[in-house]
Amino acid sequence: MASLFQRRRSKATQTERVRERRHEGFLRYAGFRWAKISGALCLLIIVSYALVDVTPRHNGGSWYGYTLGTIGAALILWLTALGYRKRKMTSDAWSLKAWTSAHVYLGLSLIIIGTWHTGFQLGWNVHTLAWALMMLVILSGLYGVIAYATLPAALSNNRDEMTQMQMLEAIRAFDRQLHSAAQPLTPADTAPVLAALDEDPFAGGIAARLSGRYPDCATAAALRALAVSNGSDREAREKVVGLLKQKEAALTRLRRHLRIRALLEIWLYVHVPLTFALIAALSAHIISVFFYW
Amino acid sequence: MSFILRRISTTKTGKQIIRDQALPGDTITLGREGSNIIHVADLAVNPHHATISSADGRTVRVAANEGLGFDLNGRSETIVDIDSGAGGELRFGGHRLTIAREGDNIILLVERIDELSQSSKDVDEAKAFSLQGVMPGKRMGAWVFGVLMLLAFLIGPIWAWYSYKNVNERPDGYHADSAWLSGPLSSAHASLKNDCQSCHVEPFVAVTDKACVGCHTGEHKAMSMAHANAPTAMLLAARHPPGVGERILKGFADTFNRPQGRCVECHTEHEGSGPMPATLQKFCADCHDGMSARLKTAGHPTTLADAADFGKSHPEFRPLVRSAPGAKPVRTTLAKGTVDYNGLKFPHDMHLQATGGVARMAASFRGRYDFGKKLECANCHRVEADGVRVKPVEMERDCAMCHSLAFETVGGVTRTLRHGEPDQVVADLTAYYRSTPPARPLQLGGMQRRRPGAYAEGQVYNIYFNEVAARPSRAQDAVRAVFSKGGACYDCHTIFAPTAGNNWRVAAVDQTPRYLQKGWFDHDAHKETDCADCHTAAPASKASSDLLVPGLRQCRDCHVGEGGARVVKVETATESPCAMCHEYHSDGGKPWMPPRRAKKNTAAITNKPLAASYGVSMITGTGGRGLYDVTWRTPPLHGARRGG
Repeated sequence: MASLFQRRRSKATQTERVRERRHEGFLRYAGFRWAKISGALCLLIIVSYALVDVTPRHNGGSWYGYTLGTIGAALILWLTALGYRKRKMTSDAWSLKAWTSAHVYLGLSLIIIGTWHTGFQLGWNVHTLAWALMMLVILSGLYGVIAYATLPAALSNNRDEMTQMQMLEAIRAFDRQLHSAAQPLTPADTAPVLAALDEDPFAGGIAARLSGRYPDCATAAALRALAVSNGSDREAREKVVGLLKQKEAALTRLRRHLRIRALLEIWLYVHVPLTFALIAALSAHIISVFFYW
Repeated sequence: MSFILRRISTTKTGKQIIRDQALPGDTITLGREGSNIIHVADLAVNPHHATISSADGRTVRVAANEGLGFDLNGRSETIVDIDSGAGGELRFGGHRLTIAREGDNIILLVERIDELSQSSKDVDEAKAFSLQGVMPGKRMGAWVFGVLMLLAFLIGPIWAWYSYKNVNERPDGYHADSAWLSGPLSSAHASLKNDCQSCHVEPFVAVTDKACVGCHTGEHKAMSMAHANAPTAMLLAARHPPGVGERILKGFADTFNRPQGRCVECHTEHEGSGPMPATLQKFCADCHDGMSARLKTAGHPTTLADAADFGKSHPEFRPLVRSAPGAKPVRTTLAKGTVDYNGLKFPHDMHLQATGGVARMAASFRGRYDFGKKLECANCHRVEADGVRVKPVEMERDCAMCHSLAFETVGGVTRTLRHGEPDQVVADLTAYYRSTPPARPLQLGGMQRRRPGAYAEGQVYNIYFNEVAARPSRAQDAVRAVFSKGGACYDCHTIFAPTAGNNWRVAAVDQTPRYLQKGWFDHDAHKETDCADCHTAAPASKASSDLLVPGLRQCRDCHVGEGGARVVKVETATESPCAMCHEYHSDGGKPWMPPRRAKKNTAAITNKPLAASYGVSMITGTGGRGLYDVTWRTPPLHGARRGG
């Protein structure tokens, strides 16, 4: 008996080691356990939907519709609970990784559960609104999964082993050098440099963050202005131009970093508020059914 | 008086070090260039920005040199006089110049107050590098969206319901609860789209039958009639045992107070606009398949036979027949040898023969009537105006072409015996024999001499006077002859000889207008089929008591179950759901059929339909709202069917 447990434990340790080595993320957790479970669930629903004979036709009000609707509503509430669960880390069987894996795959299966619950009867009403919100939440989550799978590599490449505060510090250093290097310039030439110094590297709205395009960038404008200027001392000006170019490069790296981070985060700004909109619409949907029973 | 420049620097520990430096001269220049007395290394300051002077040692004049001014107390100025006793704060680019007075000296304090650049400012790393800085918070969004949803789609609709709670009919316009509409209403209910409360009266109470019969008064009665006024408990007991699905549904229904057996359980709504869908066989078979046993168990015994599918599982027809002469009509299961006494004598076989006396007589009438070489069914049996049923046979119209009742011709006009009035027949015959003496022979006229021999047997006198003497009793004989075997009446009717107090009597003729009371048969829909294809027994029937109503077997030659189920070989199958012949709300009319299934007769559409071709619903009456008014059109009858 003792040897039996021994072997089992050593096997568990072995599995753990393999997991460590391959960095088993939430997507491939436990050999895609939750992907298999939710895939089987979807298949079951699609097949049974085709086999079950509901009169006069499939909709949310048939027994099959009620069943799918109940499963779907319960699933939505459970999926929402991830927001609570992730703040309480544990590492047992229901580790956060397991929970997240289940969240992702069961969330995707909700596409089938929710849509098949409708019986493909959509219209301009609160019921379809709830469905549409659910789909938006799922699609934003799907985007999030893809972003988490692909973007961190790009983030790491761009970072070039710098922390984000180091990136900012580099800009600050160039600013200080610019400030002293620009002292000999004429007032006409100092104005664009001053504007470049005055530029907030974090400025720009959500559009600029996501696109990474800053057409009104003061540093670039200062570079353009000084390239054509011939007012000040040439040597001083060239020094300033050189510094401006370096600052621009540092700024570009920072902005690229901000863009990738924005792409990594933006889906949550859709996913979370729409989840609560969905829960509200879902409540209205359920109450309306019973209200006008 | 002298100007003193004061500089304050801060050590890393936060300690301030103040250094004063006396400035030479009365006029102090301030600028970015190194030649200025006060050198401010600030790109926002001009190389020679301003001049500071004091004429009286108290008032300090600050004047800008190169157009670019400075700020005093937030206002942009180019020249100001400042009382050094009161002091003042001026702003040059990112620096602050504070003017104060200490004793005789005017203190000029210059400090950098702005950061060197924007990026030099302190940032909150977590906020600045994430989207927190540029997006409204997630929590905020969640609240806003959630509350908006609840307002628009929960509070609004409930408010709409509440505000029209006791209103009979809602006004037009937008009502918030239309957002709850789960699907378009059928075309009959389309006008109720905005008025949810017309059916959903009480909140959290499932739509009651009361809401339906508020408008559908007739249907409710009809429905009760169709099911023999069966109580709801009996109707519920009739239903087939629930499967897994129905058990789940029942669980939901029981948990959430949704009673079963309501109208809306079959008449589901919000299933899409358009007309009511065709009634599926399942609707009936759900109960009627194996129902009698279930009802017996549930304590509601029934005489109804089970039916599940016309092709496979349907009881034999039970036409309304009179099993004996003069008996009351009773629904009897059709079987070989079932008889129906209608009081007539009519051998179909003789009349339908292709050869023989009847055929020859018919052929001789060709041109006068619509006869062919022999008699056809349609020569005697006429169809009703709507084409659905066959009219009862009428002697004058349908028999008299051949079976004439003529007995005399007066001036080219034929006198006939009165059909249907035996007493009149007797009277007419008696009068005929009394009023018309035998024609007087010429030999008996005038002045001709009469000879004795003429009285002998067989001679004129003998014949004539015998005739005259016997005249009244001849009438008796004629009457007897007409009512007896070989006579005009006796051939077709059952005759009762005179008894005490009674004259000759003819047995009443009862022709059943509709044999199959529970099912609907439309002859018009079958006009392309020969009569004998279904009424197979007719050509060989020797007596009119043979019931010639076709049985299930004949129908099944073409009609199969809704799903195509059949027990015999069928060449061209017509899939027949229950509703093709039966109507749930049996109101005596034609079963309802969705318009696209009903065959359209284009000729009928161009012709104005006859008044009689509108089905008048027995229960709802024509003055109803037309909810279930069924119109079926009759094509103009073929000449032969109209009676030639």
